[in-house]
Amino acid sequence: MTKFNPITPEIVAELTQIVGAANVILDAEKLEAYSHDETPKDQFSGMPEVIVTPTSTLQVAEIMKLANARLVPVTPRGAGSGLSGGAIPLHGGILMAFEKMNKVLDVDLQNMMIEVQAGIVTNEINAIVEDDGLFFAGYPMSLESCQIGGNIAENAGGGKAIKYGVTDRYITGMEVVTPLGDILKIGGKIVKDVSGYDLKRLYIGSEGTLGIVTSATIKLTPLPKAKTDLLVLFPDVQSAIEIVPMILSKLGIVPTSIEFMDRLSVETSCKYLNEHLDYESCGSMLLIEVDGTTQEQVDSEAEMIGDLCVENKAIEVYVADNYTTQERVWAVRRNIAEAFKVYSPHQSLEDIVVPIAQIPALTEEIAKLSAEFSLSMPSYGHAGDGNLHTTLIKPPEMALEAWYELEDKVVKRLYQVVMALGGKLSGEHGIGIKRKAYYQDVVAPEELELMRTLKKALDPNNILNPGKIFDLA
Amino acid sequence: MLKIIVPIKQVPETGNVKMDPETGTMVRDGVVSIVNPLDLYSIETALMLKEKYGAVVTVLTMGPLNAVKALKEAISMGCDEGYILSDRAFAGADTWATAYVLMNAIQHIGDFDLILAGERATDGDTGQVGPNLAAGLDIPLATYVRKVNELDPEQRTITVERSVEEGIETLRLPLPCLLTVVKEISYPRLPTLRGKKRAKTVDIPVLTAEDLNLKREYLGLKGSPTRVVSTKSPKVTRNGQMRTIKEDKDVSTAVDDLINFLEERKLI
Repeated sequence: MTKFNPITPEIVAELTQIVGAANVILDAEKLEAYSHDETPKDQFSGMPEVIVTPTSTLQVAEIMKLANARLVPVTPRGAGSGLSGGAIPLHGGILMAFEKMNKVLDVDLQNMMIEVQAGIVTNEINAIVEDDGLFFAGYPMSLESCQIGGNIAENAGGGKAIKYGVTDRYITGMEVVTPLGDILKIGGKIVKDVSGYDLKRLYIGSEGTLGIVTSATIKLTPLPKAKTDLLVLFPDVQSAIEIVPMILSKLGIVPTSIEFMDRLSVETSCKYLNEHLDYESCGSMLLIEVDGTTQEQVDSEAEMIGDLCVENKAIEVYVADNYTTQERVWAVRRNIAEAFKVYSPHQSLEDIVVPIAQIPALTEEIAKLSAEFSLSMPSYGHAGDGNLHTTLIKPPEMALEAWYELEDKVVKRLYQVVMALGGKLSGEHGIGIKRKAYYQDVVAPEELELMRTLKKALDPNNILNPGKIFDLA
Repeated sequence: MLKIIVPIKQVPETGNVKMDPETGTMVRDGVVSIVNPLDLYSIETALMLKEKYGAVVTVLTMGPLNAVKALKEAISMGCDEGYILSDRAFAGADTWATAYVLMNAIQHIGDFDLILAGERATDGDTGQVGPNLAAGLDIPLATYVRKVNELDPEQRTITVERSVEEGIETLRLPLPCLLTVVKEISYPRLPTLRGKKRAKTVDIPVLTAEDLNLKREYLGLKGSPTRVVSTKSPKVTRNGQMRTIKEDKDVSTAVDDLINFLEERKLI
């Protein structure tokens, strides 16, 4: 492990030279806001010694050169909406925040591409191109607050991934600052490119450990003109989950979303929203969205899916084909995480992913774990991707120490189940620091060694986002 | 079997509407139409009464032919049948001229026991059509109904609670009568796939001025005793100020500045 140097007044002066006094923050109260993300603060946090808010790629490169020369760590950060602690400055040092690099560099409607700086809020991209009938289809659920740089670092994805995939499908070019301070321009406005290694993919999802993406060229997709949602009630978890692979393989329809919510998730969210869906009569729900060019086509596909559900134990199929009703049903899904936080702030929000045909087996195992440990483990999430946000909720009366112990024990068992089913620990949130210890236990030694070799080659001083994903030795 | 009539309105969806900052009016391009959100509560009330007492629920709307979509949405929630009152001559009708058409259509359709209307439409925002309709049909009216306590099919009465400024008023009305209902009355159910399929096959008759034998001089804009003379957006009278912390100051200096600023204006 590299021995890092503390930030001295000299280093602050040098940073000020690079970015200007307005972009160097030392105020303790402001530093605190950058010391954590959306993971529980009492478990995952680290105080930066100084925050810099660069305004150009050149400044980012200069900061990296300085950090190497002075041996201080640099942690890049987007909007801080991460769910794995990836942007937490574990070793102090410099926190590099991108809120001032939020410009649109080029809107190219003919090529259906947009080029933006890393700090732009993801939803702004959609707002800019909406009137031209386009959108960035790889966005995550937090699109109204997250930044595209963070999306790329985590290879984020969301509720539309079955049909549209996640961030990596849409990034065709990028500007990257390497850990040593070199500036790279990779790709461009091209949709195919096998000229050399696909370095874009190396950086996408690298959790800010291999380089800093400062701008990106994003492929835009035509906005669907029609969409219909089905809210389907099932008597239990298994019957809802079993239908998911059937929709995809039997009907040959690729829905935009298949979101799963177990009864506890729906109930908690409905109570939080004062919504009165009849969750009491069901064991779980699926929220299925179909989109397309005409309302007729979309409605007929939705009807086929609805019929299949009814033939396979669905209790009721509700249809939302206008904005008001769609907002009503989606609000229930979107507010689950927030509703559980209100119920108990201490929890472990998981992001497990298995092959889609294995979800029925996964939910069965989760039910067994929940019973064995007498622990509330609601599940919800992107069932169509095999990606579930199973959440371990601390019983409100349990002491914190006992909770951490129990959480560790249950998470370990859960990950064993996931790996045995051919799955992975995280589908879209990343390993960061939250899952680092568990990841090192389950990843193949050869794979881990290759990643370490890459990291050492690109970042010989280990100053870029150190301590994330895996430890170096 | 009870016969319940639910008059509804198709209104522009305003949830994600954009305003023209120049003119202060709604940008109508690409705006979709939906069932007036407050009519969902009168539909829900009708369906709850249907479940409890047995009823045939008829929805009707006055508007262009594409307003059939609103009727089909109501049918997919569980209403039994629908009528659309559509005629070029109806265009531009105010609340009185609208009630005139609705009243005649209801008499044309046949006997009824109860009319349930929403509190008001979210576009015109008047709340007048329901009471106007009761007056025209010469039946008792209760507005702002928050609860139906009891319906007595033998005695042909309905007992309801109204929200009034002083609290709650309990009324017993003879049938037939008209109620306008408020949000507190229920939570509207969602349309079902079964309902959607049925709505596709249900025939929705179109009733025109001629079918209803209406007097031309009472129709549409010409027949309307009221006019919208002009519309204005309210002026923003608050004049907020954003105080930013200057780059070279820390938080406590900035707070001191803010205190001085407020003290100078005798605000603290």
